[in-house]
Amino acid sequence: MSRQITYGQAIREALVEEMRRDPAVILYGEDVAVYGGIFRVLAGLREEFGERVFDTPISENVIVGAAVGAAMAGLRPVAELQFADFVHCAADEVILKAGTWRYAHDGAFELPLVIRAASGGFGFGPEHSQCPEAYIMHSPGLRLAVPSTPADAKGLLKAAIRMNDPVVFFEHKLLYGMKGEVPDGEHIVEFGKAKVRREGSALTIVAWQEMLRRSLEAAERLAAEGVEVEVVDPVTLNPFDRDAIIRSVQKTGACMVVEEAYRTLGVGAEIGAMLMESAFGELDRPLRRLAIPDVPIPTAPHLVDALVPRVDDIVQAARELAPR
Amino acid sequence: MDDATRPEVFRKMLLSRRLEERIRQLSMAGELPATLHPGAGHEACQIAALAALRSDDPMLYGHRGLAYWIARGLPPEKILCDIAFKEGGTNRGKGGVMHVVDPSRGIFGESGTLGGNFVIGAGVALAEKMRKTGRVVIVFFGDGTSNRGQFHEAANFAAVQKLPLIFFCENNGWAVSVSAKVSTAVENIADRAAGYAMPGTVVDGNDVDAVYAAVREAAGRARRGEGPSLIEAKVQRFHGHYIGDPEPYRTKEEVAKLREKDPLPRLQQDLLRRGLLDDARLAVMEKEIASAIDRAVEFTKRQPLVAPSTAFESVYAT
Repeated sequence: MSRQITYGQAIREALVEEMRRDPAVILYGEDVAVYGGIFRVLAGLREEFGERVFDTPISENVIVGAAVGAAMAGLRPVAELQFADFVHCAADEVILKAGTWRYAHDGAFELPLVIRAASGGFGFGPEHSQCPEAYIMHSPGLRLAVPSTPADAKGLLKAAIRMNDPVVFFEHKLLYGMKGEVPDGEHIVEFGKAKVRREGSALTIVAWQEMLRRSLEAAERLAAEGVEVEVVDPVTLNPFDRDAIIRSVQKTGACMVVEEAYRTLGVGAEIGAMLMESAFGELDRPLRRLAIPDVPIPTAPHLVDALVPRVDDIVQAARELAPR
Repeated sequence: MDDATRPEVFRKMLLSRRLEERIRQLSMAGELPATLHPGAGHEACQIAALAALRSDDPMLYGHRGLAYWIARGLPPEKILCDIAFKEGGTNRGKGGVMHVVDPSRGIFGESGTLGGNFVIGAGVALAEKMRKTGRVVIVFFGDGTSNRGQFHEAANFAAVQKLPLIFFCENNGWAVSVSAKVSTAVENIADRAAGYAMPGTVVDGNDVDAVYAAVREAAGRARRGEGPSLIEAKVQRFHGHYIGDPEPYRTKEEVAKLREKDPLPRLQQDLLRRGLLDDARLAVMEKEIASAIDRAVEFTKRQPLVAPSTAFESVYAT
């Protein structure tokens, strides 16, 4: 049995269920408690969980640093950074503290913490619109979830809260209102298992979150032209399911990565390098990347459209890459 | 401070001083990697502060010296093995002397980037408060580190949340080679407490009684749920920032003058005066410390280097 709920509702359900299940789970950040989160997905949590849900000052270093400390001392904090761009404000705490504390102290601690942040979108300007997955993926010690559907948002967040490692959890702003089937009852989604969202043989598209949504729309249009693309959603970027991408490329012989982040040294660059090293013989066409050119993300939506891959761009690039 | 604690504080100060001297010798002789930031001159405030807390109160220590761990009873060989990257230490070559750890003794580790301790300590204190453990967290830091932005964020957050946290500043006037005169706007770091509506106290860091009393008071306040405190101990750094630092930024005369304030002879005189120590007992103490250090050094020399495969371990729990 399942229900249709939004991505935002799915995130809220995951938090409610885990906070009911485990009193060690706490939830905090800027505008989290009274306001219910800046994207309003946390309404009512303060009422149900009292002091376990609280507002913080505008202090990203302490928001993340305190999560590391609280996790060391027996809590399971879920800290919100509002905008994914703010991982840069708290880079010391995210990358050096959450990422390396356990290692530097040789496993003396488990660090069960989740850093939730809203990524992507349009009209928020250069400092509130980014998808900084590559920075996190580049940093050892951090798990990274990029849920693309309501079901995955719920199941991955529940898994993240139960995990004994720091998890960066990017929720895409454009997906909060997206509806989808979410199974009833306990629903956990495993980290490190990519999903084939659409089967095809012409080429493999790797995409997640809004770029996955656009890629699937593009795939529909391409199918009408007789081009059947396979679309793979990595689901998590750490752990990263290389094998799933290699398996798909073995079938299609070509790969295109569509990402909502800067092109240079992006996730697509890593996927390309990985395929060169591990699946060179499987590729019969060059890798293709659709990404944001290396310029900051502007505020005006029509300028954003000029930079972020659109459905038309994906269709066009896939046509070029498909076998003739 | 009671009559049982006072000689024990002295013994730990002496052990810390002698162990550090041995590490310096071994390091200069090339027998140990030279990675210690000498803490000579700071031992009194570090050990007296910890003597005023419970043995399970979590601490985030500073990078100056090794008295923090001696205060918590960590065997010297564990410290030596961490410095030498040998099996038998606490972090098997991952963090070296900067990340000595033992949660069972409340030794919660250290942030390599200065200031990380503030925000992590705030988080540990948050957990202690929410879990109602009655524990108090102490974060040690230098005057230089108080200039990091994390100090501001953690102090404000701790005060707003009324966290059981003690900010313990060891002010020696130097941030590596930069004098506080050119780096720090306030004369007293404790003055900054006013900005966070918490008590700020300046004490003589060479006076174990003053330090002990200040920490007791701050701990009592923290345990009663009244929030954090800032204590500033005025101390002096007898050595350079690291073993081998040529110290071009200060004169030998200056350092010699600082040596006159050495807290060790001061407490020794105090113990003699109180009849808690005499020359014979002092000689026995010195001898016991020397042989304990000898044993620890021998142990460390016999221990194997941490295996290269260890480098791949402890990144993730799952």
